[in-house]
Amino acid sequence: MPLQSVETQNSRALASPTTDASDRELLERIARQRDQKAFRSLYGNYYQRLSRLLGRMSVRREDIEEVINDTFWVVWTKAGEFRGASQLSTWIIGIAYRRALNALRRAKLRPVSDQPFDEDSVSVGSSEEEETNQQWLSLGLERLPVEQRMALELTYTLGHSCEEVAAILDCPVNTVKTRLFRARETLKQVLPVLAGMSGEKS
Amino acid sequence: MSPRIPDTHAEAWALLPWLANGRIAPEDREWVDAHLQGCAECRAELAAQRMVASHVTSDEANSPPPASSDEQKSFNKLWARIEAAESASKTATGTTGAPVPVPRSSRTVRWLAAAVVVQALGLGILGMTLRENSTDSNMRTVTTEPTQRLNAPAVRLVFAPGASIETINTLLAHQGLSIVAGPGAAGNFTAELSVDAVASGASAESVALVLKKDPHVSLAEPVAQ
Repeated sequence: MPLQSVETQNSRALASPTTDASDRELLERIARQRDQKAFRSLYGNYYQRLSRLLGRMSVRREDIEEVINDTFWVVWTKAGEFRGASQLSTWIIGIAYRRALNALRRAKLRPVSDQPFDEDSVSVGSSEEEETNQQWLSLGLERLPVEQRMALELTYTLGHSCEEVAAILDCPVNTVKTRLFRARETLKQVLPVLAGMSGEKS
Repeated sequence: MSPRIPDTHAEAWALLPWLANGRIAPEDREWVDAHLQGCAECRAELAAQRMVASHVTSDEANSPPPASSDEQKSFNKLWARIEAAESASKTATGTTGAPVPVPRSSRTVRWLAAAVVVQALGLGILGMTLRENSTDSNMRTVTTEPTQRLNAPAVRLVFAPGASIETINTLLAHQGLSIVAGPGAAGNFTAELSVDAVASGASAESVALVLKKDPHVSLAEPVAQ
């Protein structure tokens, strides 16, 4: 796929069945013919999404390339073993997630949620309420433990279903729901407007 | 079989993120929608989650994408790694297990080597006979550089005239090589493989095979240890 069209993919393209079907054709060419062009196209289809996703998981910039290349090393070597029980995107992002956890462990990063919350960095005096909300929300997202953050990003950024998120994170569906439940509660503590929206009782 | 209809507040609440992103299962959508009709708390939470989803996606869309040159560089590194590993694998297959017949090219090299020795002896005798005073004792070729003690598998390299330092450094880094000698009289360098590269299966032969294909490299050959 030309780079230009990769850049114009919408934010949920990776979770769409159409994209997944065309990516599976690329994977078949890789498995059967060891086709470098197909491999390059598949790499391009995921590079930006994975770069951003890994950055939001607090993977260090210098480790992101290594995680992506380790992921696609597995894709190249195991292409023939993918049986299609799940979506291709679920398989690839799942590999990247586990590699990223290893990278985070290697980097000995503290969980982001343990870091002190710097309230001074939010311009609460801003006349732009919307902008302030965005800043609070960004800070709230940074406070989430990596598992909760990943569940939220996979749901909202990549548009995966609950079952797909569970497959990527290799955990039960109920665990995904619990992680998102806790993430939602944390965000409400950070951003009062969210609590206000759901504070209304039936 | 009729679908399970939980219709409980807690279960509907847990599924709201997927109602917000449009990926809720069709069999759940119906009863969650019905629950929302009578539950203002869930309706407010759905609005809150749509706000979070909107923030996350707009934040993602506004963040600058990685440069396409970064993507190509990253892919080049990965592809070089794949080629090195596959070359190493082929080399390993050829040197282990059942005895492998000596390839034709190796026999040719041996004959050529023998011919070169005979030729060198002849030239030496000729030189002594003629007692030339103008012997060019300083002339060296790539393959006659003085050998030095090597600590790891190494390759002898000559880079293409236009190759920049940055390109050379990138090439070496991708293969796990470090220059240990050079430049020689013919512009040749000797580079050793790192411990990590050797541990991951790279050999002087596999790395030389990869580098030979690179347009920035004029010559790449393993150094006999």
